[in-house]
Amino acid sequence: MSLFLQQWMGELIKLFARRRTYIGFGAFILLETALLIMFRIRGGEKWFEKIISGQGRAFEHYYSALTLALIVLAFSVLILGALYIALVSGDIVAKENEDGHYRLLLSRPVSRLRLLFLKYLTCLCYTVVLIQFISWSAFLLGVLVRGWGGGFFAMAPEVGLMTFYEWGPGMERFALGSLFLSFSMMTVSSVAFFLSCLPIKPAAATIGALSYILIDMILRNMELMESYKHLLLTAHMGNWTRILADPIPWAVIIRSYTVLTAMCASLFIVGTAIFEARDLKS
Amino acid sequence: MALIEIRNLSKRWNSERLALDDVSFDLRQGEILGLLGHNGAGKSTVLGISLGMVRPDSGGVTIAGHSVQQERGKALRQVGAIYEAAAFYDYLTAWQNLRVLCSLSGWWDEVEVKRVLKLVNLHQRAHHKTRTFSHGMRQRLALAQALLPLPKCLLLDEPTDGLDPEGIREFREFVLRLRADFGMTILLNSHLLVEVEQMCDRCVILKQGKKIYEGPVPSQEKKRGVYQLQSPDMAKAHEIAARAGAMVPSGDLIELPPHVLGHEMLRLLVEGGVRVDAWQQHKPTLEELYMGLTK
Repeated sequence: MSLFLQQWMGELIKLFARRRTYIGFGAFILLETALLIMFRIRGGEKWFEKIISGQGRAFEHYYSALTLALIVLAFSVLILGALYIALVSGDIVAKENEDGHYRLLLSRPVSRLRLLFLKYLTCLCYTVVLIQFISWSAFLLGVLVRGWGGGFFAMAPEVGLMTFYEWGPGMERFALGSLFLSFSMMTVSSVAFFLSCLPIKPAAATIGALSYILIDMILRNMELMESYKHLLLTAHMGNWTRILADPIPWAVIIRSYTVLTAMCASLFIVGTAIFEARDLKS
Repeated sequence: MALIEIRNLSKRWNSERLALDDVSFDLRQGEILGLLGHNGAGKSTVLGISLGMVRPDSGGVTIAGHSVQQERGKALRQVGAIYEAAAFYDYLTAWQNLRVLCSLSGWWDEVEVKRVLKLVNLHQRAHHKTRTFSHGMRQRLALAQALLPLPKCLLLDEPTDGLDPEGIREFREFVLRLRADFGMTILLNSHLLVEVEQMCDRCVILKQGKKIYEGPVPSQEKKRGVYQLQSPDMAKAHEIAARAGAMVPSGDLIELPPHVLGHEMLRLLVEGGVRVDAWQQHKPTLEELYMGLTK
Protein backbone atom coordinates (compact mmCIF):
# COMPACT_ATOMS: atom_id res chain seq x y z
CA MET A 1 0.00 0.00 0.00
CA SER A 2 2.80 2.41 0.86
CA LEU A 3 4.37 1.68 -2.54
CA PHE A 4 1.07 2.49 -4.22
CA LEU A 5 0.82 5.77 -2.29
CA GLN A 6 4.42 6.60 -3.14
CA GLN A 7 3.69 6.05 -6.84
CA TRP A 8 0.44 7.99 -6.67
CA MET A 9 2.31 10.82 -4.99
CA GLY A 10 4.57 10.89 -8.06
CA GLU A 11 1.52 11.40 -10.29
CA LEU A 12 0.17 14.12 -8.02
CA ILE A 13 3.55 15.87 -8.00
CA LYS A 14 3.43 15.92 -11.81
CA LEU A 15 -0.11 17.27 -11.90
CA PHE A 16 0.23 19.93 -9.26
CA ALA A 17 3.71 21.07 -10.34
CA ARG A 18 2.22 22.42 -13.59
CA ARG A 19 1.19 26.02 -13.68
CA ARG A 20 -1.74 25.17 -15.95
CA THR A 21 -3.37 23.16 -13.16
CA TYR A 22 -3.73 26.33 -11.10
CA ILE A 23 -4.91 28.51 -13.99
CA GLY A 24 -8.17 26.56 -13.74
CA PHE A 25 -8.60 27.50 -10.10
CA GLY A 26 -7.88 31.17 -10.82
CA ALA A 27 -10.28 31.18 -13.76
CA PHE A 28 -13.08 29.91 -11.55
CA ILE A 29 -12.67 32.71 -9.03
CA LEU A 30 -12.97 35.21 -11.89
CA LEU A 31 -15.93 33.39 -13.42
CA GLU A 32 -17.77 33.17 -10.11
CA THR A 33 -17.25 36.86 -9.45
CA ALA A 34 -18.46 37.68 -12.97
CA LEU A 35 -21.52 35.46 -12.50
CA LEU A 36 -22.44 37.21 -9.25
CA ILE A 37 -22.12 40.64 -10.86
CA MET A 38 -24.16 39.49 -13.90
CA PHE A 39 -26.78 37.97 -11.63
CA ARG A 40 -27.22 41.29 -9.87
CA ILE A 41 -27.17 43.43 -13.02
CA ARG A 42 -29.60 41.19 -14.97
CA GLY A 43 -32.18 41.24 -12.20
CA GLY A 44 -31.64 37.70 -10.94
CA GLU A 45 -32.22 38.85 -7.38
CA LYS A 46 -35.67 40.22 -8.24
CA TRP A 47 -36.60 36.95 -9.91
CA PHE A 48 -35.57 35.01 -6.82
CA GLU A 49 -37.42 37.44 -4.58
CA LYS A 50 -40.59 36.76 -6.56
CA ILE A 51 -40.21 33.00 -6.23
CA ILE A 52 -39.22 32.93 -2.55
CA SER A 53 -41.89 35.44 -1.55
CA GLY A 54 -44.38 33.55 -3.71
CA GLN A 55 -43.79 30.53 -1.47
CA GLY A 56 -44.67 32.62 1.56
CA ARG A 57 -41.05 32.78 2.82
CA ALA A 58 -38.92 35.76 3.84
CA PHE A 59 -36.65 36.69 0.94
CA GLU A 60 -34.01 38.37 3.12
CA HIS A 61 -33.67 35.19 5.19
CA TYR A 62 -33.55 32.60 2.40
CA TYR A 63 -31.58 34.61 -0.14
CA SER A 64 -28.36 33.72 1.70
CA ALA A 65 -24.73 32.87 1.02
CA LEU A 66 -25.74 29.23 0.52
CA THR A 67 -28.46 30.11 -2.00
CA LEU A 68 -26.07 32.32 -3.95
CA ALA A 69 -23.35 29.63 -3.78
CA LEU A 70 -25.71 27.06 -5.28
CA ILE A 71 -26.64 29.37 -8.17
CA VAL A 72 -23.00 30.23 -8.90
CA LEU A 73 -21.92 26.58 -8.53
CA ALA A 74 -24.52 25.26 -10.99
CA PHE A 75 -23.61 27.84 -13.63
CA SER A 76 -19.82 27.75 -13.30
CA VAL A 77 -19.61 23.96 -13.38
CA LEU A 78 -21.80 23.99 -16.47
CA ILE A 79 -19.73 26.67 -18.21
CA LEU A 80 -16.13 25.88 -17.26
CA GLY A 81 -16.04 22.84 -14.99
CA ALA A 82 -16.46 20.24 -17.72
CA LEU A 83 -13.90 22.04 -19.88
CA TYR A 84 -11.16 22.01 -17.24
CA ILE A 85 -11.83 18.45 -16.18
CA ALA A 86 -11.79 17.27 -19.81
CA LEU A 87 -8.61 19.25 -20.41
CA VAL A 88 -6.70 17.62 -17.56
CA SER A 89 -8.08 14.10 -18.07
CA GLY A 90 -7.75 14.27 -21.85
CA ASP A 91 -4.11 15.21 -21.46
CA ILE A 92 -3.10 12.76 -18.82
CA VAL A 93 -2.35 9.74 -21.03
CA ALA A 94 -2.19 11.20 -24.54
CA LYS A 95 0.11 14.13 -23.73
CA GLU A 96 2.61 11.93 -21.93
CA ASN A 97 2.64 9.65 -24.94
CA GLU A 98 3.07 12.59 -27.30
CA ASP A 99 5.96 13.93 -25.19
CA GLY A 100 7.62 10.51 -25.01
CA HIS A 101 7.46 10.17 -21.21
CA TYR A 102 6.32 6.55 -21.38
CA ARG A 103 9.68 5.57 -22.80
CA LEU A 104 11.13 6.56 -19.43
CA LEU A 105 8.24 5.47 -17.21
CA LEU A 106 7.75 2.05 -18.77
CA SER A 107 11.41 1.12 -18.73
CA ARG A 108 10.67 0.64 -15.03
CA PRO A 109 9.23 -2.56 -13.55
CA VAL A 110 5.68 -1.20 -13.43
CA SER A 111 2.75 -2.55 -15.40
CA ARG A 112 0.77 -0.40 -17.80
CA LEU A 113 -2.38 -1.26 -15.87
CA ARG A 114 -0.91 0.07 -12.64
CA LEU A 115 0.42 3.18 -14.34
CA LEU A 116 -2.96 3.93 -15.92
CA PHE A 117 -4.78 3.24 -12.69
CA LEU A 118 -2.53 5.78 -10.95
CA LYS A 119 -3.30 8.30 -13.67
CA TYR A 120 -7.02 7.61 -13.54
CA LEU A 121 -7.02 8.03 -9.80
CA THR A 122 -5.19 11.33 -10.26
CA CYS A 123 -7.90 12.50 -12.71
CA LEU A 124 -10.60 11.61 -10.21
CA CYS A 125 -8.69 13.33 -7.44
CA TYR A 126 -8.33 16.48 -9.57
CA THR A 127 -12.07 16.39 -10.31
CA VAL A 128 -12.99 16.22 -6.63
CA VAL A 129 -10.48 18.95 -5.69
CA LEU A 130 -11.69 21.25 -8.48
CA ILE A 131 -15.39 20.80 -7.74
CA GLN A 132 -14.84 21.26 -4.02
CA PHE A 133 -12.82 24.37 -4.76
CA ILE A 134 -15.59 25.75 -6.99
CA SER A 135 -18.22 24.92 -4.35
CA TRP A 136 -16.49 26.45 -1.39
CA SER A 137 -15.12 29.47 -3.23
CA ALA A 138 -18.70 30.14 -4.42
CA PHE A 139 -19.81 29.83 -0.80
CA LEU A 140 -17.12 32.27 0.36
CA LEU A 141 -18.17 34.77 -2.31
CA GLY A 142 -21.74 34.29 -1.14
CA VAL A 143 -20.69 35.03 2.45
CA LEU A 144 -18.90 38.17 1.25
CA VAL A 145 -22.09 39.36 -0.46
CA ARG A 146 -24.83 38.15 1.93
CA GLY A 147 -22.92 37.50 5.16
CA TRP A 148 -22.97 34.45 7.42
CA GLY A 149 -26.26 32.78 8.36
CA GLY A 150 -29.82 32.77 7.10
CA GLY A 151 -31.65 29.97 5.32
CA PHE A 152 -31.03 27.97 2.17
CA PHE A 153 -33.34 28.02 -0.81
CA ALA A 154 -32.48 25.17 -3.19
CA MET A 155 -34.01 25.04 -6.64
CA ALA A 156 -33.39 22.67 -9.56
CA PRO A 157 -36.13 23.05 -12.22
CA GLU A 158 -34.89 20.10 -14.35
CA VAL A 159 -35.77 17.67 -11.56
CA GLY A 160 -38.70 19.75 -10.24
CA LEU A 161 -36.99 20.59 -6.97
CA MET A 162 -37.71 23.53 -4.68
CA THR A 163 -36.88 23.26 -0.96
CA PHE A 164 -36.13 25.50 2.01
CA TYR A 165 -33.65 24.76 4.81
CA GLU A 166 -32.28 26.58 7.80
CA TRP A 167 -28.54 27.40 7.92
CA GLY A 168 -27.25 24.23 9.66
CA PRO A 169 -29.13 21.59 7.66
CA GLY A 170 -28.64 23.78 4.55
CA MET A 171 -24.86 23.65 4.99
CA GLU A 172 -25.03 19.87 5.32
CA ARG A 173 -27.09 19.54 2.13
CA PHE A 174 -24.82 21.93 0.25
CA ALA A 175 -21.71 19.96 1.28
CA LEU A 176 -23.33 16.63 0.38
CA GLY A 177 -24.59 18.05 -2.92
CA SER A 178 -21.15 19.32 -3.91
CA LEU A 179 -19.71 15.90 -3.07
CA PHE A 180 -22.23 14.18 -5.36
CA LEU A 181 -21.56 16.80 -8.04
CA SER A 182 -17.90 15.76 -7.81
CA PHE A 183 -18.95 12.14 -8.39
CA SER A 184 -21.06 13.22 -11.36
CA MET A 185 -18.19 15.13 -12.93
CA MET A 186 -15.98 12.04 -12.63
CA THR A 187 -17.96 10.82 -15.64
CA VAL A 188 -16.58 13.68 -17.76
CA SER A 189 -13.16 12.76 -16.42
CA SER A 190 -13.65 9.11 -17.37
CA VAL A 191 -14.81 9.88 -20.91
CA ALA A 192 -11.78 12.16 -21.45
CA PHE A 193 -9.46 9.58 -19.87
CA PHE A 194 -10.82 6.85 -22.14
CA LEU A 195 -10.27 8.97 -25.24
CA SER A 196 -6.81 9.86 -23.98
CA CYS A 197 -5.89 6.15 -24.05
CA LEU A 198 -6.57 6.00 -27.79
CA PRO A 199 -3.77 6.79 -30.24
CA ILE A 200 -4.96 10.38 -30.74
CA LYS A 201 -3.72 13.87 -29.92
CA PRO A 202 -4.45 15.20 -26.40
CA ALA A 203 -6.55 18.04 -27.80
CA ALA A 204 -8.66 15.52 -29.72
CA ALA A 205 -9.34 13.64 -26.47
CA THR A 206 -10.44 16.86 -24.73
CA ILE A 207 -12.61 18.02 -27.62
CA GLY A 208 -14.04 14.53 -28.04
CA ALA A 209 -15.05 14.33 -24.38
CA LEU A 210 -16.63 17.78 -24.38
CA SER A 211 -18.48 17.04 -27.61
CA TYR A 212 -19.85 13.82 -26.18
CA ILE A 213 -21.11 15.54 -23.04
CA LEU A 214 -22.58 18.42 -25.04
CA ILE A 215 -24.42 16.12 -27.49
CA ASP A 216 -25.67 14.05 -24.57
CA MET A 217 -26.95 17.22 -22.89
CA ILE A 218 -28.69 18.42 -26.08
CA LEU A 219 -30.36 15.03 -26.54
CA ARG A 220 -31.48 15.11 -22.93
CA ASN A 221 -33.37 18.32 -23.53
CA MET A 222 -35.09 17.03 -26.66
CA GLU A 223 -38.68 15.94 -26.29
CA LEU A 224 -38.31 12.89 -28.49
CA MET A 225 -35.69 11.55 -26.08
CA GLU A 226 -38.06 11.75 -23.11
CA SER A 227 -38.49 7.99 -22.79
CA TYR A 228 -34.77 7.30 -23.43
CA LYS A 229 -33.35 9.70 -20.83
CA HIS A 230 -32.11 6.82 -18.71
CA LEU A 231 -29.62 6.06 -21.50
CA LEU A 232 -28.05 9.51 -21.34
CA LEU A 233 -25.14 10.19 -19.04
CA THR A 234 -26.01 13.80 -18.30
CA ALA A 235 -29.47 12.75 -17.11
CA HIS A 236 -27.83 10.62 -14.42
CA MET A 237 -25.14 13.22 -13.73
CA GLY A 238 -27.82 15.86 -13.10
CA ASN A 239 -29.29 13.78 -10.30
CA TRP A 240 -26.79 15.24 -7.84
CA THR A 241 -29.36 18.03 -7.30
CA ARG A 242 -31.80 15.47 -5.84
CA ILE A 243 -29.52 15.38 -2.77
CA LEU A 244 -31.04 18.78 -2.00
CA ALA A 245 -34.57 17.33 -1.90
CA ASP A 246 -36.30 16.62 1.39
CA PRO A 247 -36.46 13.68 1.93
CA ILE A 248 -33.56 12.53 -0.24
CA PRO A 249 -34.80 10.11 -2.94
CA TRP A 250 -31.99 7.60 -2.34
CA ALA A 251 -33.41 4.96 -4.70
CA VAL A 252 -33.15 7.32 -7.71
CA ILE A 253 -29.74 8.56 -6.63
CA ILE A 254 -28.32 5.08 -6.03
CA ARG A 255 -29.63 3.92 -9.43
CA SER A 256 -28.05 6.89 -11.22
CA TYR A 257 -24.72 6.61 -9.46
CA THR A 258 -24.59 2.87 -10.06
CA VAL A 259 -25.04 3.54 -13.79
CA LEU A 260 -22.34 6.24 -13.69
CA THR A 261 -19.94 4.05 -11.70
CA ALA A 262 -20.44 1.17 -14.14
CA MET A 263 -19.88 3.55 -17.04
CA CYS A 264 -16.68 4.96 -15.50
CA ALA A 265 -15.36 1.48 -14.72
CA SER A 266 -16.13 0.31 -18.27
CA LEU A 267 -14.42 3.32 -19.81
CA PHE A 268 -11.34 2.71 -17.65
CA ILE A 269 -11.21 -1.01 -18.50
CA VAL A 270 -11.68 -0.52 -22.25
CA GLY A 271 -9.24 2.42 -22.32
CA THR A 272 -6.63 0.40 -20.46
CA ALA A 273 -7.12 -2.61 -22.76
CA ILE A 274 -6.55 -0.39 -25.80
CA PHE A 275 -3.47 1.19 -24.25
CA GLU A 276 -2.13 -2.25 -23.24
CA ALA A 277 -2.26 -3.40 -26.85
CA ARG A 278 -0.35 -0.41 -28.19
CA ASP A 279 3.31 -0.37 -29.15
CA LEU A 280 5.07 2.57 -27.53
CA LYS A 281 7.68 3.78 -29.94
CA SER A 282 8.41 7.14 -31.51
CA MET B 1 26.02 -17.53 -18.70
CA ALA B 2 23.51 -15.49 -20.68
CA LEU B 3 21.83 -12.73 -18.69
CA ILE B 4 19.65 -11.63 -21.58
CA GLU B 5 18.34 -14.10 -24.15
CA ILE B 6 16.77 -12.68 -27.27
CA ARG B 7 14.98 -15.42 -29.17
CA ASN B 8 13.48 -15.46 -32.66
CA LEU B 9 12.14 -11.92 -32.56
CA SER B 10 9.93 -10.97 -35.47
CA LYS B 11 7.91 -7.79 -35.79
CA ARG B 12 5.97 -6.13 -38.56
CA TRP B 13 4.79 -2.54 -38.30
CA ASN B 14 1.18 -2.08 -39.42
CA SER B 15 1.23 -5.64 -40.82
CA GLU B 16 3.39 -4.40 -43.67
CA ARG B 17 6.93 -3.23 -43.05
CA LEU B 18 9.15 -5.93 -41.62
CA ALA B 19 11.04 -4.46 -38.68
CA LEU B 20 12.60 -7.67 -37.33
CA ASP B 21 12.96 -11.05 -38.93
CA ASP B 22 13.80 -13.95 -36.62
CA VAL B 23 16.52 -12.17 -34.64
CA SER B 24 18.23 -14.12 -31.85
CA PHE B 25 21.29 -13.45 -29.74
CA ASP B 26 22.46 -13.58 -26.12
CA LEU B 27 24.15 -11.18 -23.76
CA ARG B 28 26.53 -12.85 -21.40
CA GLN B 29 26.98 -11.70 -17.83
CA GLY B 30 29.43 -8.80 -17.65
CA GLU B 31 29.85 -8.24 -21.36
CA ILE B 32 29.24 -5.11 -23.42
CA LEU B 33 27.47 -5.95 -26.64
CA GLY B 34 27.02 -3.44 -29.43
CA LEU B 35 23.90 -3.54 -31.56
CA LEU B 36 24.68 -1.98 -34.91
CA GLY B 37 22.72 -1.17 -38.01
CA HIS B 38 21.55 1.60 -40.31
CA ASN B 39 18.63 3.78 -39.29
CA GLY B 40 15.53 1.62 -39.48
CA ALA B 41 17.50 -1.64 -39.23
CA GLY B 42 15.47 -2.66 -36.18
CA LYS B 43 17.88 -1.79 -33.33
CA SER B 44 15.40 0.28 -31.33
CA THR B 45 12.68 -2.30 -31.95
CA VAL B 46 14.88 -4.94 -30.28
CA LEU B 47 15.28 -2.62 -27.29
CA GLY B 48 11.58 -1.76 -27.27
CA ILE B 49 10.68 -5.45 -27.17
CA SER B 50 13.31 -6.07 -24.48
CA LEU B 51 11.60 -3.41 -22.33
CA GLY B 52 8.10 -4.66 -23.06
CA MET B 53 7.12 -1.46 -24.84
CA VAL B 54 6.79 -3.11 -28.22
CA ARG B 55 4.99 -6.41 -28.66
CA PRO B 56 6.74 -8.93 -30.88
CA ASP B 57 4.74 -10.87 -33.47
CA SER B 58 6.76 -13.90 -32.42
CA GLY B 59 9.67 -14.74 -30.17
CA GLY B 60 10.54 -13.15 -26.87
CA VAL B 61 13.17 -11.81 -24.51
CA THR B 62 14.27 -13.33 -21.22
CA ILE B 63 16.17 -11.29 -18.64
CA ALA B 64 17.75 -13.12 -15.71
CA GLY B 65 15.42 -16.04 -16.30
CA HIS B 66 12.22 -13.97 -16.48
CA SER B 67 10.30 -13.51 -19.71
CA VAL B 68 9.73 -9.84 -20.48
CA GLN B 69 6.53 -10.74 -22.32
CA GLN B 70 5.09 -12.77 -19.43
CA GLU B 71 6.74 -11.41 -16.26
CA ARG B 72 7.66 -7.89 -17.25
CA GLY B 73 7.87 -6.60 -13.68
CA LYS B 74 10.29 -9.28 -12.51
CA ALA B 75 12.38 -9.10 -15.68
CA LEU B 76 12.77 -5.31 -15.62
CA ARG B 77 13.73 -5.27 -11.95
CA GLN B 78 17.23 -6.17 -13.17
CA VAL B 79 17.36 -3.50 -15.87
CA GLY B 80 18.22 0.16 -16.24
CA ALA B 81 17.50 1.70 -19.61
CA ILE B 82 17.67 4.69 -21.87
CA TYR B 83 15.17 4.01 -24.64
CA GLU B 84 15.20 6.50 -27.52
CA ALA B 85 15.47 10.18 -26.50
CA ALA B 86 14.91 10.55 -22.75
CA ALA B 87 11.92 12.86 -22.26
CA PHE B 88 11.96 14.28 -18.76
CA TYR B 89 9.23 16.41 -17.22
CA ASP B 90 10.53 19.88 -18.01
CA TYR B 91 8.51 21.53 -15.27
CA LEU B 92 10.06 19.30 -12.59
CA THR B 93 13.57 19.45 -11.17
CA ALA B 94 16.09 16.70 -11.85
CA TRP B 95 15.54 15.49 -8.30
CA GLN B 96 11.74 15.39 -8.71
CA ASN B 97 12.08 13.59 -12.04
CA LEU B 98 14.22 10.93 -10.40
CA ARG B 99 11.77 10.68 -7.51
CA VAL B 100 8.85 10.07 -9.88
CA LEU B 101 10.79 7.48 -11.89
CA CYS B 102 12.28 5.68 -8.89
CA SER B 103 8.86 5.44 -7.24
CA LEU B 104 7.81 3.24 -10.16
CA SER B 105 10.61 0.86 -9.22
CA GLY B 106 9.42 0.97 -5.60
CA TRP B 107 12.75 2.37 -4.52
CA TRP B 108 14.11 5.60 -3.07
CA ASP B 109 17.39 6.20 -1.28
CA GLU B 110 18.47 9.82 -1.06
CA VAL B 111 22.10 8.97 -0.29
CA GLU B 112 22.34 6.72 -3.36
CA VAL B 113 20.56 9.29 -5.57
CA LYS B 114 23.03 11.98 -4.46
CA ARG B 115 25.93 9.60 -5.13
CA VAL B 116 24.76 8.81 -8.66
CA LEU B 117 24.04 12.49 -9.41
CA LYS B 118 27.61 13.24 -8.35
CA LEU B 119 28.84 10.39 -10.51
CA VAL B 120 27.22 11.94 -13.58
CA ASN B 121 28.30 15.40 -12.45
CA LEU B 122 24.81 16.79 -11.96
CA HIS B 123 24.81 17.10 -8.18
CA GLN B 124 24.97 20.91 -8.32
CA ARG B 125 21.96 21.09 -10.65
CA ALA B 126 19.82 18.51 -8.83
CA HIS B 127 17.21 21.06 -7.79
CA HIS B 128 17.04 22.93 -11.08
CA LYS B 129 14.18 22.39 -13.51
CA THR B 130 15.20 20.14 -16.38
CA ARG B 131 13.93 22.69 -18.91
CA THR B 132 17.12 24.62 -18.11
CA PHE B 133 19.32 21.60 -18.93
CA SER B 134 21.47 21.29 -22.05
CA HIS B 135 21.22 18.19 -24.21
CA GLY B 136 24.36 16.76 -22.65
CA MET B 137 22.99 17.29 -19.14
CA ARG B 138 19.76 15.55 -20.09
CA GLN B 139 21.74 12.59 -21.41
CA ARG B 140 23.66 12.44 -18.14
CA LEU B 141 20.41 12.61 -16.20
CA ALA B 142 19.07 9.82 -18.41
CA LEU B 143 22.08 7.73 -17.46
CA ALA B 144 21.55 8.60 -13.78
CA GLN B 145 17.93 7.42 -13.87
CA ALA B 146 19.01 4.21 -15.60
CA LEU B 147 21.41 3.56 -12.70
CA LEU B 148 18.78 4.10 -9.99
CA PRO B 149 18.46 1.62 -8.41
CA LEU B 150 21.71 -0.01 -9.52
CA PRO B 151 20.72 -2.59 -12.15
CA LYS B 152 22.38 -5.81 -13.26
CA CYS B 153 22.24 -4.74 -16.86
CA LEU B 154 21.89 -1.56 -18.86
CA LEU B 155 20.07 -1.21 -22.15
CA LEU B 156 21.26 1.94 -23.85
CA ASP B 157 19.69 3.24 -27.02
CA GLU B 158 22.06 5.62 -28.80
CA PRO B 159 23.10 7.20 -25.49
CA THR B 160 25.74 9.52 -26.97
CA ASP B 161 23.42 10.94 -29.61
CA GLY B 162 23.95 14.70 -29.68
CA LEU B 163 26.83 14.73 -27.19
CA ASP B 164 29.99 16.70 -27.95
CA PRO B 165 33.29 14.78 -28.35
CA GLU B 166 34.25 15.43 -24.74
CA GLY B 167 30.85 14.20 -23.58
CA ILE B 168 31.20 11.06 -25.68
CA ARG B 169 34.59 10.32 -24.20
CA GLU B 170 33.33 10.89 -20.65
CA PHE B 171 30.38 8.64 -21.33
CA ARG B 172 32.60 5.90 -22.73
CA GLU B 173 34.89 5.99 -19.71
CA PHE B 174 31.89 6.00 -17.40
CA VAL B 175 30.31 2.95 -19.00
CA LEU B 176 33.58 1.04 -18.98
CA ARG B 177 33.97 1.92 -15.29
CA LEU B 178 30.49 0.57 -14.59
CA ARG B 179 31.45 -2.75 -16.07
CA ALA B 180 34.79 -2.79 -14.24
CA ASP B 181 33.32 -1.78 -10.86
CA PHE B 182 29.98 -3.59 -10.88
CA GLY B 183 30.37 -6.26 -13.55
CA MET B 184 27.40 -4.72 -15.32
CA THR B 185 26.10 -6.26 -18.53
CA ILE B 186 25.47 -3.62 -21.18
CA LEU B 187 23.59 -3.66 -24.46
CA LEU B 188 24.65 -0.62 -26.45
CA ASN B 189 22.52 0.28 -29.41
CA SER B 190 24.42 2.63 -31.67
CA HIS B 191 25.19 3.56 -35.21
CA LEU B 192 28.54 5.02 -34.20
CA LEU B 193 31.08 2.38 -35.20
CA VAL B 194 33.92 4.00 -33.26
CA GLU B 195 31.84 3.94 -30.10
CA VAL B 196 31.12 0.23 -30.46
CA GLU B 197 34.69 -0.51 -31.46
CA GLN B 198 36.06 1.19 -28.37
CA MET B 199 33.57 -0.12 -25.83
CA CYS B 200 32.14 -3.46 -26.87
CA ASP B 201 33.37 -7.01 -26.54
CA ARG B 202 31.04 -8.34 -29.21
CA CYS B 203 28.62 -6.90 -31.65
CA VAL B 204 25.48 -7.84 -33.52
CA ILE B 205 24.79 -6.19 -36.86
CA LEU B 206 21.25 -5.86 -38.16
CA LYS B 207 20.25 -5.11 -41.72
CA GLN B 208 16.63 -4.57 -42.67
CA GLY B 209 15.51 -6.43 -39.58
CA LYS B 210 17.80 -9.43 -40.10
CA LYS B 211 20.84 -10.36 -38.07
CA ILE B 212 23.77 -10.48 -40.46
CA TYR B 213 26.63 -10.71 -38.00
CA GLU B 214 27.20 -11.77 -34.41
CA GLY B 215 30.71 -12.06 -33.10
CA PRO B 216 33.69 -10.28 -31.70
CA VAL B 217 34.29 -6.64 -32.52
CA PRO B 218 36.95 -6.96 -35.26
CA SER B 219 39.50 -4.51 -33.85
CA GLN B 220 39.64 -6.56 -30.66
CA GLU B 221 40.07 -9.78 -32.52
CA LYS B 222 43.68 -10.73 -33.24
CA LYS B 223 43.72 -11.84 -36.83
CA ARG B 224 47.33 -12.82 -36.97
CA GLY B 225 46.96 -14.50 -40.32
CA VAL B 226 46.25 -11.43 -42.45
CA TYR B 227 49.18 -9.27 -43.59
CA GLN B 228 49.45 -6.16 -45.67
CA LEU B 229 52.16 -6.01 -48.28
CA GLN B 230 53.53 -2.96 -50.05
CA SER B 231 55.68 -3.88 -53.03
CA PRO B 232 56.24 -2.94 -56.66
CA ASP B 233 56.21 -6.71 -57.48
CA MET B 234 52.66 -7.56 -56.42
CA ALA B 235 51.97 -10.10 -59.17
CA LYS B 236 55.07 -12.06 -58.27
CA ALA B 237 54.22 -11.81 -54.58
CA HIS B 238 50.71 -13.15 -55.17
CA GLU B 239 52.13 -16.08 -57.13
CA ILE B 240 54.56 -17.02 -54.33
CA ALA B 241 51.85 -16.58 -51.69
CA ALA B 242 49.41 -18.77 -53.60
CA ARG B 243 52.08 -21.48 -53.97
CA ALA B 244 52.46 -21.43 -50.17
CA GLY B 245 48.70 -21.91 -49.76
CA ALA B 246 47.86 -18.28 -48.91
CA MET B 247 44.74 -16.44 -50.08
CA VAL B 248 44.71 -12.97 -51.53
CA PRO B 249 41.44 -11.34 -50.37
CA SER B 250 42.29 -7.95 -51.86
CA GLY B 251 45.13 -6.28 -53.74
CA ASP B 252 47.54 -5.72 -50.89
CA LEU B 253 46.30 -8.25 -48.34
CA ILE B 254 47.62 -11.77 -47.96
CA GLU B 255 45.81 -14.24 -45.70
CA LEU B 256 48.20 -16.91 -44.55
CA PRO B 257 47.29 -20.58 -44.13
CA PRO B 258 47.29 -21.71 -40.46
CA HIS B 259 50.65 -23.50 -40.69
CA VAL B 260 52.59 -20.51 -42.11
CA LEU B 261 53.73 -17.70 -39.85
CA GLY B 262 54.18 -14.08 -40.94
CA HIS B 263 57.96 -14.05 -40.84
CA GLU B 264 58.10 -17.32 -42.80
CA MET B 265 55.99 -15.86 -45.61
CA LEU B 266 58.17 -12.74 -45.60
CA ARG B 267 61.24 -14.95 -46.00
CA LEU B 268 59.59 -16.80 -48.93
CA LEU B 269 58.77 -13.52 -50.63
CA VAL B 270 62.25 -12.08 -50.21
CA GLU B 271 63.88 -15.34 -51.30
CA GLY B 272 61.57 -15.35 -54.34
CA GLY B 273 62.96 -11.99 -55.40
CA VAL B 274 60.07 -9.77 -54.36
CA ARG B 275 61.07 -6.28 -53.28
CA VAL B 276 59.22 -5.68 -50.00
CA ASP B 277 58.65 -2.04 -49.05
CA ALA B 278 56.39 -2.84 -46.09
CA TRP B 279 55.03 -6.03 -44.47
CA GLN B 280 52.75 -5.64 -41.50
CA GLN B 281 49.98 -7.45 -39.74
CA HIS B 282 46.61 -6.25 -40.92
CA LYS B 283 44.10 -5.21 -38.28
CA PRO B 284 40.65 -5.20 -39.85
CA THR B 285 38.37 -2.43 -38.55
CA LEU B 286 34.74 -2.65 -37.55
CA GLU B 287 34.03 -0.16 -40.30
CA GLU B 288 35.45 -2.56 -42.91
CA LEU B 289 33.37 -5.40 -41.53
CA TYR B 290 30.23 -3.26 -41.27
CA MET B 291 30.54 -1.77 -44.72
CA GLY B 292 31.30 -5.16 -46.18
CA LEU B 293 28.23 -6.74 -44.61
CA THR B 294 25.74 -3.97 -45.12
CA LYS B 295 26.75 -2.92 -48.62
